[in-house]
Amino acid sequence: MTRLSFSVGFAALLGFTTAQAAELPETIKQAGVLRLTVNSTYAPMEYRDPATNELVGLDIDLANEIAKRLGVKIVWSETPFAELIPSLQTKRADFIISGISDRSSRRESADFVDYLTTGPQFFVLTENEAKAAIDLCGKKVGTTRSTSFPVEIEKWSKQNCEASSKPAVQYVPGENSIDVRNQLKQGRIDAAVQGSETLPYAQSQEAGKYRVVGEPFSTGYQGIMFRKDDAALREVVTQHLAAMIADGSYKAVLDKYGLGANAVPQPLMNAATQ
Amino acid sequence: MRTADALAGGFPDLSGMRLARQAHRQRWLAVAAILVVLAAIGRAFANGQIEWSYVSRFLTAKVILEGIVNTMVMALLAMALGIVLGVVVAVMRLSPNPVLKSVAAGYTWLFRGTPLILQLLLWFNLALIFPTIGIPGLWSARAVDVMTPFLSALLGLGINQGAYTSEVMRAGMLSVDVGQYEAAQAIGMGRLQALRRIILPQAMRVVIPPLGNEFIGMVKATSLASVIQYPELLHNAENIYYANSRVIELLIVAGLWYLLVVSILTPLQMLLERRFARGSQQIAR
Repeated sequence: MTRLSFSVGFAALLGFTTAQAAELPETIKQAGVLRLTVNSTYAPMEYRDPATNELVGLDIDLANEIAKRLGVKIVWSETPFAELIPSLQTKRADFIISGISDRSSRRESADFVDYLTTGPQFFVLTENEAKAAIDLCGKKVGTTRSTSFPVEIEKWSKQNCEASSKPAVQYVPGENSIDVRNQLKQGRIDAAVQGSETLPYAQSQEAGKYRVVGEPFSTGYQGIMFRKDDAALREVVTQHLAAMIADGSYKAVLDKYGLGANAVPQPLMNAATQ
Repeated sequence: MRTADALAGGFPDLSGMRLARQAHRQRWLAVAAILVVLAAIGRAFANGQIEWSYVSRFLTAKVILEGIVNTMVMALLAMALGIVLGVVVAVMRLSPNPVLKSVAAGYTWLFRGTPLILQLLLWFNLALIFPTIGIPGLWSARAVDVMTPFLSALLGLGINQGAYTSEVMRAGMLSVDVGQYEAAQAIGMGRLQALRRIILPQAMRVVIPPLGNEFIGMVKATSLASVIQYPELLHNAENIYYANSRVIELLIVAGLWYLLVVSILTPLQMLLERRFARGSQQIAR
């Protein structure tokens, strides 16, 4: 047996055994409860239904389906976006599924199982003059300051505006996506950035108000975050997610929110390049 | 020996005996228990998941220092606005004029009755109600250009503070003996003149301690302006941990700065108290 074929065979064996071995950690099984923490200001990923005050959204539906298959109940809690990672580290949450982008800087403390494609997307008020993203050079662009978008805007500006000797984008911080859209309406900023997966919903809420400019300017994934030492839970959730993709229940959830195009072919681990 | 004298009264003479020292056992026990708890807390923090190198690195980072300057500028200006409003409203409140009186009461009711953070968000988003503001025929501007994070924070914090300060000022004015008002009247002073020359200087002595208290509260209340993007200390510390995820380390950095500022302000308040107590050293001591 060559070294290569041996290692391939070994990997297959390993894959097989982990696939068999993946089981819910004892503490969760005992409690029958998954504790999940979300930042519910990011419709349609997770938000409070204005009519019922129920926690709803794509992430909520996916998590509920996973919990159903695991045979456990979910106890939800809420936190500001910036406290999601601390919530995971302090074990307030068993894992995080809350519209959070897989980024290498966040992988120091966690592993991501990527389940949705995403990318930062410029948008403006419909009547704005900007036709292409390049028109936003030198303009005031707002986004939620606790996300990875400020860094991505700066990078985009360097590569596109400053490289063609146009003035740089002026980044204006906002508190959350609703605040950012408020600042857009008031004219404090000329354009805004949100994850592409949230814009169809925002546009449906305020018809004709917003217009996207260009394509998402980088591609990445949203991931479910697990603690590094929690491989067992990560494995079992990944398996169920893979099964949901295979049997179409995953696609059904995405389609419900008009995000079928953001589907991934299979769960990916730490796959984002950023 | 004078034992005989003492015994004459039927009691033993204790005058020559040494006082037994009290053992203070419970006291030592309490001290020991407290030291153990403190040591345990100290040890927990030293071994906890805190990267102290981040704390020392960011303690004097430029953004943090800018944040503390912005915090202090905002606290001073908002407090100044609050005191001016507070004096005016307190004088109105104690005026015999029913219109002035009820306007003053209404102001206190409105701004003391709603949360500060709500008021800050309202000022910041004023342009949603009034896209342009100005004086008809003279001047007008886009509301967002006027309502910068700085001005929104100043108005929100200052006007809210005015509602609380007016009550402190009113208490100070009420603390001045009614005879002082009558004496001022008797020598022909008007109400405002009497207030300025007789009443307010005496009221100052009483209002300094609560005002110092309010100012220390204000230094920390400026952190609420972080939600409307005023770049004060907490806002800037948050921005750093949004980027590097060192949440606890940056919160400790901000906390240390707030503690330092408050530690400096406390003796300053004492100096101020001493100055305004010149006329009545006895009481002030």
